[in-house]
Amino acid sequence: MSKRNLLLTLICIVLSFSFLSACGGGGSSSNTTEPPATTTEPPKDTKEAEAKSAEKTDEKPVELIWYMIGTPQKDTDKVFEELSKYTKEKINATVKMKLLDWGEYDQKMPVIAASGEPFDIAFTCSWAFNYVTNARKGAFLEIGKLLDEKGAGIKEVLHPAFLEGAKVDGKLYAIPTNKELPAQDVWRFNQKFVEKYNFDISSVKSLESLEPMLKTIKEKEKGIVPLGGDKNFKPLLPFDYVDESIPIALYADGRDTKLMNILETPETMQALETMHKYYKAGYVSKDLSTINSNDYSKTGKWFTDRANTAPLADNQWSASYGYKIVSTPANDPLVYNWSVTGSMNAISATSQNPEKAMEFLNLLNTDPYVRNMVGYGIENVHYKKIGDNRIELLPALTEGYTVPGFALGNVMITYLQKDDPENKWDEYKKFNESAKNAPLLGFNFDPTPVMNEMAALKNVKEEFYPPLMTGTVDPVVNLPKAIKKFKDAGIDKVRDEMQRQFDEWRAKQ
Amino acid sequence: MKATLRFIKDLNKNKAFLWMVLPGALWFLFFSYLPILGTVIAFKQYRFHKDGFLASIINSQWVGWKNFEFLFSTEDAYIITRNTILYNFIFIVSGLVCSVLMAIILSEIVNRKLAKWYQTGMFLPHFLSWIVVSYFAFSFLSADKGALNQLLGSFGVEPIAWYSETAYWPYILVLMNLWKTIGYTSVVYLAAIIGIDKSYYEAAMIDGANKWQQIRNITIPMIKPLMIILTLLAIGRIFYSDFGLFYQVPRNSGSLFSVTNVIDTYVYRGLKVSGEIGMSTAAGLYQSFIGFILVLTSNALVRKINKDQALF
Amino acid sequence: MDNQPVYTSPPGIQQTRKRKSRDFSQLSPFWNVIANLIAGVFSILCVFPFVFVLILSFTDEDTLAMNGYRIFPEKWSIDAYSYIFNVGNQLLRSYGVTLFITVVGTLLSLVIISLYAYALSRKSFKYRGFFSFIAFFTLLFNGGLVPFYMVATQLLHIKDSIWALILPLCVNAFYILIMRTFFLTMVPDAIIESGKIDGASEFRVFRSLVLPLSLPGLATIGLFSTLGYWNDWFNALLFIENPKLVPLQAMLMRIENNMQFILQNSSMMSSAEGLEIIRNMPQDTSRMAMVILATGPIVLAYPFFQRYFVQGLTIGAVKE
Repeated sequence: MSKRNLLLTLICIVLSFSFLSACGGGGSSSNTTEPPATTTEPPKDTKEAEAKSAEKTDEKPVELIWYMIGTPQKDTDKVFEELSKYTKEKINATVKMKLLDWGEYDQKMPVIAASGEPFDIAFTCSWAFNYVTNARKGAFLEIGKLLDEKGAGIKEVLHPAFLEGAKVDGKLYAIPTNKELPAQDVWRFNQKFVEKYNFDISSVKSLESLEPMLKTIKEKEKGIVPLGGDKNFKPLLPFDYVDESIPIALYADGRDTKLMNILETPETMQALETMHKYYKAGYVSKDLSTINSNDYSKTGKWFTDRANTAPLADNQWSASYGYKIVSTPANDPLVYNWSVTGSMNAISATSQNPEKAMEFLNLLNTDPYVRNMVGYGIENVHYKKIGDNRIELLPALTEGYTVPGFALGNVMITYLQKDDPENKWDEYKKFNESAKNAPLLGFNFDPTPVMNEMAALKNVKEEFYPPLMTGTVDPVVNLPKAIKKFKDAGIDKVRDEMQRQFDEWRAKQ
Repeated sequence: MKATLRFIKDLNKNKAFLWMVLPGALWFLFFSYLPILGTVIAFKQYRFHKDGFLASIINSQWVGWKNFEFLFSTEDAYIITRNTILYNFIFIVSGLVCSVLMAIILSEIVNRKLAKWYQTGMFLPHFLSWIVVSYFAFSFLSADKGALNQLLGSFGVEPIAWYSETAYWPYILVLMNLWKTIGYTSVVYLAAIIGIDKSYYEAAMIDGANKWQQIRNITIPMIKPLMIILTLLAIGRIFYSDFGLFYQVPRNSGSLFSVTNVIDTYVYRGLKVSGEIGMSTAAGLYQSFIGFILVLTSNALVRKINKDQALF
Repeated sequence: MDNQPVYTSPPGIQQTRKRKSRDFSQLSPFWNVIANLIAGVFSILCVFPFVFVLILSFTDEDTLAMNGYRIFPEKWSIDAYSYIFNVGNQLLRSYGVTLFITVVGTLLSLVIISLYAYALSRKSFKYRGFFSFIAFFTLLFNGGLVPFYMVATQLLHIKDSIWALILPLCVNAFYILIMRTFFLTMVPDAIIESGKIDGASEFRVFRSLVLPLSLPGLATIGLFSTLGYWNDWFNALLFIENPKLVPLQAMLMRIENNMQFILQNSSMMSSAEGLEIIRNMPQDTSRMAMVILATGPIVLAYPFFQRYFVQGLTIGAVKE
């Protein structure tokens, strides 16, 4: 028996020993997981290395690893080798971009961050690798000071509301992308039918005001979906949410400061009743609450739907669909937390060279050469110039280097494409200036005290939202049921906690 | 000192065996035991630390059983636990009966060539992912364009909104599961049946046993150990469920949650945004712990009935 | 000692084949028809969706969007496959990756599992209780995703390498327990003893006496393992960034994940950009074509696998 115990102890020792060494390796693991990093990066205090590199240029350049969302492209390495030649000279750093596919980014990045694997820059936002959550958990470096030191250019180009809205508990953890700032909903119309029936779309604003048109289409056009959408469809409600996944909000016009359950408001009831009426009348697809594709836009067999807009969006929609789209605003443009944090780049807490990373982000947002190469690839390979600030995309771009432009830093220094109007970026600036701030802008809720309730509430939401919001079920019967289920899952406790944090935050403003 | 010497001698005597288990033991060390130490996360509020994973664990705050609470605290907790266990129970029983039955049928079919074709056909569903299956199901069950509603319509039956009617889904899910797994599991039983020594049957026939008696008294007893192993294996996973079957196939339809929400889908929906790894680890720990208890109990039962057929 | 050897006398597969025509163990014609009917109908039900997917892949995209999924589409088209030819290289490469990991992985896991299980099945192995427990205990807890990821990437450094697709799947405690049961029931102790008397080493005994007797067990575990490797996409999702190392199922999964993610979040993304991305996604029919191209070959190859599988079983039963 004793031998067996001995062996057991032995194994245990070996086990714990190797575990310790494994984790000891974790700290300095940059020289193990990423072989290139070992060769390029002297094991010195970063500040010291930084100072030295400024002194003598023959210092080995650092390599920055940048995780980005998007389908992996075959020319990525080629483009970044070319770019690195330039950045090596400018900031003595080379850059390597790693694209993780759309559907994987949100699954993979949290694991990479949680395991402490070193990288330098990562894309983050409100809808993938969630910015606020991960900033709170400590995945990102707090960059307020670094921005002042190394990112002066960024502060010049960004609308102040961007940096303000991107703060979590008063601290900045990522650089928002300079693009359209507010969010605005529009009703989009298939121009073909607008012309045919001579509709006056400028008279449309509310969901109810669509009714006569929907009725006409339903009666006269067989096989056309009057009001398109998918399972995420929601009637437009005038609220600003604390957390997009929980129905607690303020009125978007900021008329009071008391957070409420939106399901208990008369506006919600009215909108849901309208939707249910539309559902029964056949204005929306019977499958709306389970549809998860947007096939209707491909075929053009639809009349209207709702979408988020941006300047000149009508043109882009029309070009993309191959038939004419017109739109009319459904609400006023407002700057929300989620629209400000819609696309950002953060520096990892595990980065060995945060200064270099910030210098690169500075270039990305201010240097047109860097920004355009990152976005469009190499000149005369992926695109060719057809004007001073205007380019034509070459087939090699579609084949080998299609990256999500809105995620790669300041879009307003990118080249115009062939069909873009000359004033494109001015329109963007105008749009950004025109916007008002939503009441909750800058307030970020910390869900830690109510984690269990949040998990339960998200389930309740997924259970009740699609059928209710698409009008599939009768709100008179089902809304009270939903409200009760939300209450059972602890929505009042969450609301109180939100209110407490919100009041605290307001007091500090 | 003497003990150590004896120990070394023992090691030497068992050298060959120790070499045999070495690769497997190393694998367990790396892929099971080292990660197992990480389950402490289930009792922590995990926060990142810039010095890597271990530092993160050490610096995270202890929260006791708090990460487990969301699995028990609401009314839904009862529903998801009930659904998970009931569905798995039905899956285990129906799967066992149907695949053994199918294996016996396949082994008895006179035309061997045909039998092989059947068997190949049955295997196909295993290669289709649940997402593809869900397209297929949707083409039948869609309220607007679905084949089933068109068929019902031609008989004058009102169209049914399949994706919001809870009544049908327990049957749909059980049938879908059978459809996808029978081919796979029946192959395993078929293998065991083919492996049975034919002389048993010859002896039985000499004694005048008919086909049914042969199946009951030879085939079934001979594949019983395999049935027990596979069933125990399934029992161990009774708190887990096939995510695709319960999430993709009902198209995540909210109206169906009362009959389609299981522990895995609940955890996924609850944590997909916040990504609290403490809570998801807690859920995994809970699932495997219950599975372990159930395997131990059922194995003890098997052992009581027949010692040789127990798993361990 | 108390194990009853199951195979005592040479079974008569060959013999039965010879006198097939008047084999009195056959089903009566009536029951044979019933059996054929049950198996036939069920296998048609199983094949049908596959045929359906095949039809969809040849359906015209617009027709599909308009009419929904139909068994007899109004308009046929081969456009879907033209999309595939653009990514054709990727597809071919993914085939290679999947084939490689399936073959190497299955062999590796058979070796490790059978060695481990054999040692556990031998009563003369002093530490077998301990090592049984080591294997069995892993069924109790799994460590969770993040620690697992950390060990694999920062200790074993298998991130973005083919080993990340092979190693994590190659051992499974349940397979070891199944295999041990096979060894205990199928290999009579007497045979092992006789081998030892002849002076053969443990490894020799294992290779030349035990393995040939355990082919049914090996075939079963091998099949499990093959399918496990063939269908695995999770490890690729976790560890693989290099597009050259993406296996087939992961490629399909990626496309599906992308579709779902983008449609869920398109309203959050900058609107025009979001649309552009959706437009660049493969269309429904192309996805179906992918499914066909990705599963077709294994489906066609399966009958051959199956033959060897069944052969392996019967040989195992014949040899003594």
